[in-house]
Amino acid sequence: MKKTYHTVNSRVPRVDARAKATGEARYAADLAMPGMLYGALLQSSLPHARILNIDVSRAKMLSGVKDIVTAKEAGTVKYGVSPARYDETVFCADRVRYVGDEIAAVAARDPETAQEAASLIRVEYEPLPALLDIDSAMSDGAVLIHDDFPGNIGAEVHQEFGDVEEAFKGCDIVRTDRFVNKRQDGGFLEPQACVAQYAEGHLTVWSSTQSVHYVQRSLSMVLGIPIGKVRVIKPYVGGGFGPKAAVNTIELAASLMSMRTGRPVKMVFSREQVFMHSRARHQFVHELTTGVKKDGTIVALKNTCHLDGGAYSSFGIATIYYAGSLLGAPYKLANMKYDGYRIYTNKPACGAQRGHGGVAARAAFEQQLDIIAHELGMDPVEFRLKNIMKTGDVTCNDFNMSSLGMKECLDAVRDGSGWTEKKGKLPKGKGIGVACGFFVSGAGYPIYRSETFHSTATIRLSEDGGGANLYTAAAEIGQGSDTILSQIAAEALGVAFGDVKIYSGDTDFGIDLGAYSSRQTLMSGHAVKAAAEDVKRQVLEVLSDELNVPRDDMDIENGIVIFATGRPDFSAVRSAYAKEHRGWVQSSLPEGLTFKEAARLAFLKRGVIVGNGAYKPGELGGKYKGAAVGTSPAYGCSAQVVEVSVDMGTGRVTVDSMTDAHDCGFAINRTNVEGQMQGSLSMGLGEALFEEVKFDGGGRVINASLGEYRIPTSLDMPNVRTIIIESNEPNGPFGAKEVGEGAIMPTIPAILNAIYDATGVRMNELPVTSERLYTAIKNKVK
Amino acid sequence: MKKIITVTVNGTEYESAVNPNMTLARFLREGLGLFGTKEGCGVGDCGACTVIMDGQPVNSCLVLAVEANGSAIVTIEGIGEGGKLHPVQEAFIEAGAIQCGFCTPGMVLVAVNLLENNPSPTENEVRQALSGNLCRCTGYQKIVEAVERAASKIVCGERAGEL
Amino acid sequence: MLFLPRFDYEEPRTLPEALDILSDLRSDTKVIAGGTDLIVNMKKGSVDPARIVSLKRLKGIRGITRKKEIVAIGSYTTAADIARSDVIARSFPVLRKAALSLGSPLIRNRATIGGNIATARPAADLPPALIALGARIKLRTKGTNRTVIPDVFFIGPGRSILGKDEIITEISLSTLPPFTGADYIKLGHRAALEIAIVAVASRITLDSPDGVIRDARIVLSAVAPTAVRALSAEGALLGEYPSDELFAKAASLAMNDCSPVSDIRGGADYRRDMVRALTIRTLANAYREACGQGVGL
Ligand SMILES: Cc1cc2nc3c(=O)[nH]c(=O)nc-3n(C[C@H](O)[C@H](O)[C@H](O)COP(=O)(O)OP(=O)(O)OC[C@H]3O[C@@H](n4cnc5c(N)ncnc54)[C@H](O)[C@@H]3O)c2cc1C
Ligand code: FES
Ligand code: FES
Repeated sequence: MKKTYHTVNSRVPRVDARAKATGEARYAADLAMPGMLYGALLQSSLPHARILNIDVSRAKMLSGVKDIVTAKEAGTVKYGVSPARYDETVFCADRVRYVGDEIAAVAARDPETAQEAASLIRVEYEPLPALLDIDSAMSDGAVLIHDDFPGNIGAEVHQEFGDVEEAFKGCDIVRTDRFVNKRQDGGFLEPQACVAQYAEGHLTVWSSTQSVHYVQRSLSMVLGIPIGKVRVIKPYVGGGFGPKAAVNTIELAASLMSMRTGRPVKMVFSREQVFMHSRARHQFVHELTTGVKKDGTIVALKNTCHLDGGAYSSFGIATIYYAGSLLGAPYKLANMKYDGYRIYTNKPACGAQRGHGGVAARAAFEQQLDIIAHELGMDPVEFRLKNIMKTGDVTCNDFNMSSLGMKECLDAVRDGSGWTEKKGKLPKGKGIGVACGFFVSGAGYPIYRSETFHSTATIRLSEDGGGANLYTAAAEIGQGSDTILSQIAAEALGVAFGDVKIYSGDTDFGIDLGAYSSRQTLMSGHAVKAAAEDVKRQVLEVLSDELNVPRDDMDIENGIVIFATGRPDFSAVRSAYAKEHRGWVQSSLPEGLTFKEAARLAFLKRGVIVGNGAYKPGELGGKYKGAAVGTSPAYGCSAQVVEVSVDMGTGRVTVDSMTDAHDCGFAINRTNVEGQMQGSLSMGLGEALFEEVKFDGGGRVINASLGEYRIPTSLDMPNVRTIIIESNEPNGPFGAKEVGEGAIMPTIPAILNAIYDATGVRMNELPVTSERLYTAIKNKVK
Repeated sequence: MKKIITVTVNGTEYESAVNPNMTLARFLREGLGLFGTKEGCGVGDCGACTVIMDGQPVNSCLVLAVEANGSAIVTIEGIGEGGKLHPVQEAFIEAGAIQCGFCTPGMVLVAVNLLENNPSPTENEVRQALSGNLCRCTGYQKIVEAVERAASKIVCGERAGEL
Repeated sequence: MLFLPRFDYEEPRTLPEALDILSDLRSDTKVIAGGTDLIVNMKKGSVDPARIVSLKRLKGIRGITRKKEIVAIGSYTTAADIARSDVIARSFPVLRKAALSLGSPLIRNRATIGGNIATARPAADLPPALIALGARIKLRTKGTNRTVIPDVFFIGPGRSILGKDEIITEISLSTLPPFTGADYIKLGHRAALEIAIVAVASRITLDSPDGVIRDARIVLSAVAPTAVRALSAEGALLGEYPSDELFAKAASLAMNDCSPVSDIRGGADYRRDMVRALTIRTLANAYREACGQGVGL
C-alpha cells in the first residue's frame, strides 16, 4: 500500500535557501566579536626535519601580538581521528613531517600582525630525508616517519572470504589490472575558519565543520576541559565533502589562545592552507585480479591496494578498510581477497572524501569489468545485470542488502540514455560507457569504540502547539540535512512543514556524529522521526484521556487529528481553546480537531511537551577483524551512462551527456536527491579529467590554488539527467537511505569506459588529462 | 597613508578613509559589514567575491577599494527590494540551485547582470556567463535551470506589467 | 587569508601627470590597470611595490576607435570591451576570439589589453593574435614617444622592453588586406579559467580567393619564453597554393620553431605535438575565412 505523504517525497524548497540567496547566511569567517583577536599559524617549510630550536622572541616584540603558542604551551597530548592511531599533536614538538605541519600560532589584534609575527618566529631545523611517495617510504632502510611503524606502514589489512586462488582455477578469464588515481582535494568553496571563545571555564567554538561532536570530543581531550564545558557550534558551512569531518589545528589553536588571553580568537585558512591541511582523498594504487566464467559469472576478486597516506593517519584507518570492503558489491561474488597497506609519507595527511575509500577502487573495478565484458563479447549492461545482487542478498563479507534497486538503476540508465541504439554504433572519437556504484548509508559504528547513540533529536512544542522546535547536532553543510530533518519531523508529527523550526549543528542540542559516511538522512532522520513520534504519542495520550478514545485509534495528519472509528465529541476541547484565544484574530478552525488544540490541551495537562529520539544501528556485519568498517544499516547503489567526445588530435575529452540513476531508498526531498547526484557527477568528472594535487621535490604543493587545481566550471559540465530510484529501505526512516556520497561512484569509470569506446584506449591513471590520453592514443598507434 | 573614497554601495553613498592595500572585498565585509560577499580564494579563481561594479560583475578580491572610488557597487545585499526577493533569488530557491550557499551570492549577481543585458539567454550563454564562478556542490545543473526559470519569470512579469 | 603589503597609491588625472610621477624612475613603483595580474602577484608576495600608480582616471586610454584604415585600442581597454566591440568583431574577429578565451567573464571585465601585454607572460592570450595581426604598441615616457611591434616588445617570461617610467598607451591595428583570414586556438584543461597549455594564432592573406598565399603569420604561445613566430613555417607557406598537405608541412616545421619546456601545465613533447595540431587547425580555419569574403572591412 502506498501511503500518501504530505511533506516527505516532495520538492519543498530548502529551509536555508532564503538566507543564502540574500547573503544573510553567516559562515564562520563572517563572525566577529568584541575584543576578538586574530590568529595565524607558523607552518613547516620543510617536509621532514627535526626541530632543534624555536625562537619566538622577535615575534613577541611586535606590537599588537597578544599570545604565541608552541608545543611547550599546548602540550603533547596525542589526538587524531581513530583512537587506534592517535598520531598528531597540536603543534610539532620535536619533528615536522610535512610542508605545512604546524609549529606555532600567534594571536594578535589584527590578522596582518598575526601573520607578520608568525613569520618572525625562527625555527632551527635539522633536515631528515623526505619520503614523498609510497616506494621511497617503503624502501629498505627508509627513515621512519613515526617511530612505531616499521616500513612506514601505518596500517594494513588482510582479509579473505572464500578461497580466491582456488576459485581462479575454475575461471575462464582471469585478468589483472593496475590502476592509480591522484591525491584529490575537497575543493569546497569555503576555506576552514573558526572563532573560539573561552570564558568562565566554558569554551565555545564556532567552526566550519562537518561534525560538531568529534570536534567537541577532541577539544575536550586535548585541552583538558570537561566535555560538558565545551560547546561547538556550526554556523553555515560552505561545503565539506570529508576534509572537514575531524578536528583541525585552527580549532585547537584558537581555543588554546582564547583560554590564555581570555579573548575570542578567530582563525581562517587561506586557500593554500586548505591544500596544505588536505585530509582529502588519498592516492590509491590498486592491483585487481578478477576471475569470471565464460557465461559471464564473476567468481573471484583479488585486490591489493597501497594508499599514500601522508604524514598522519586522520581517517585513513577507515579509508584503508573501505578500499577493500566496498568492492564486490553490488555484484554477487563468493570469493574476495584484500590486502591493503596505508603508507606514511612526508606530505599532508589524507583522510575522507566523498565516496570514502571506494572511489578509486570502484573506478578500477568497473573499468576492469568493462574490459572483461568486451573479452567475453557481452554487452557491458547485460554483463552487469547478470551479476548484480538484489534485495535480500548478503555479500561474502556479510553486508546485508536490505534493499537494493540495482537492476532498476541499470534499466533506467540504459533506457534513459539510448544505450542500446548507441553502444558500438558511435563514430570514432565518440564513445559511451556504463558503470555501477555502491556505498554505505552511514557507518555502522562510530569512529571511536563506543555504545553511543549515533544521533539524538529533541522536539519541543510551543505552548500553543503551533510550532515544533527541532533540536539536533546534525550538521547542515550544504547537503540539505536541515531541510530533510524538518520534513521528517513534520511528516512524523503530522504537522505542516512550515510549523517545524530546526536548530542544528550545536553540541548543546544533542549527539550527532555528523555529516560523513552518507549517514544523516538515515541516522539523524531516525532520531528525528522517533522524537516526533514521541511528541505525537504524548499529545495523543492526553487526548485519549480527555476524549475517552483509545490512543491507537487516533493519528495526526497534516495538522488534523484523525480518528479510526467515527468522530468523538471534542467540543469541550474546542471551546476551551477558543476561550483561551478570545480576542485573537485567527482564521476559523476547520471541522476536524486540530493538532494545535490537542497540543494546547497536552501542555495544560503536562507542561511543556518534549519528545526525544535516539538512534544507533543494531548489531551489524560479521565477526572477522575489521568487520565493522563497511557495515551499514543500508546500502545505496547507482548506475550511470556517460557519453564523451574525444578530440583525437589533442586528447581533450568533452563529456557530452551523463545519465545517472541512484537508489536512495525513498527520496525525502526529490530536489535535494537530484542535487546530490548532480554535485557528485561534477566532482567525479573533475577527478576523472582534471584534479590532481601536485608536489615539487621539496614536498610542497605546487598547485595549491583553484586556478591550478581544477574543479569543473559550468562549461565543463554537460546538461545531465538524474533519475531517482526508490527501493524502500526497511531500515531507513520512511524507507530512505543514502545519496550524498555513493552517487559519485559510477562517474569516473563510466567516463573511462566511454573514453575507451571512443578511442580504443584504456586509461589506468587518473586524471585523464589531454596529454595523458593523447600520449596513450599515440603509443597505441605506434 | 589612508585615502578618502566615495563609493555608492547598493544605492547608498559612503565616504570612508581606507588604506590603499584594502581590497574591495575586505572593505565591503569588514568596513561596511556586508558579509554576503564571500572569499574563497582571494586571487580571482573562484568568483565567490563577485560584486557588480559600474554595471559589470568583477572579482572584488582583486579590486583595490581605492580603485572603486567614485564607482557604484551592488552586492548581494542590494538584490531584491524592501524584503522582496528578486526573481533570480526566487528562482534559485525554487529550482534547488543552492546547496552550501557559498557560491550563491556571486552566482545570483552574475545571473541578475546577465538577464539585465540578455533577457532570454540560451543554455550555453548562461553557462558562459557563470564560468568564472565555481560551484563544488551543485554541478551547476540547477543553477543553470534557475537562471532559465528566472528569465521566464522576468519576461512574464514584464508582460503582466504591460497589460 | 591573503593580505596585500602596504604601499602608497597615486591617482593621477592626466597622462602627463602620470608620466611625471613615473619619471623619478623608482624601481619600486608599479602601474596598475585592471589589477588582475598585479594584485595576485602582490598577494602571493612575488612583487612588493612601495608605490602604485593607477591609470584609472586617465582620459583617452580606454576604448576602441577607428580612423580610416587604423583601429586604435586604448591600453586601458578591457578584454570584455574588446569582445563586445563591433569594430573588432568585424575587422579582427581573431582578436575577439582571443579576448573571449582570457580567464573568465569576471576577469575579462577588469583585465586590460595594456596589462596583458605588460605582464609579458609567455601564455598571455592577446599577444599571439596581436602579433599575427601586425599590431603596433605605443609607449610613452615623460619625454619620449615610441611605437614598437609586439615581436620585439617581449624579451622573456615577465620581461619586456618596457621602461620603468614608461606607459603603454595604445595598441593600433591596420585593417587587413582582402582575402585575409585568421584564427586563434587555445588549448587548456578546462573550458574556462585556463592559462594556455599551448595556443596558436595564424593569419594568411591570399592573392585571390583561389590564389597563392601572399602573406602568412603563425604565432606560437606558451612554447617559448615569449610568444614566437614560426618563421620557417611561415616561409613554407609563402607563394604556395593552400592545401591540407601544405598546412601539415608548415605545422611540422612550426614544431621546431619553438622551445617548449615541461611544467605544471604540460610536458614539452606534448606541447610540441600540439603546436602541430593547432597550427594545422588555425591555418585551415584562417584559409576558410580568407576565401570567404575576407574580413578586411
Ligand atoms: C583568475 C585569473 C585568470 C587569468 N586568466 C588569464 C588568461 O586566460 N589569459 C591571460 O592572458 N591572462 C590571464 N590572467 C592574467 C591577467 O588577467 C591578464 O594578463 C590581464 O590582461 C592583465 O591586465 P590588468 O589590466 O589586470 O593588469 P594589471 O594587473 O593592472 O597589471 C599587470 C602588469 O602590467 C603593468 N601594466 C598594466 N598596464 C600597463 C600600462 N598601460 N603600461 C605599462 N604597464 C602596465 C602593471 O604595472 C603590472 O606589472 C588571469 C588572471 C587571473 C587572476
Ligand atoms: S575570492 Fe575572489 S575570486 Fe575567489
Ligand atoms: S552551493 Fe556550494 S559551492 Fe555552490
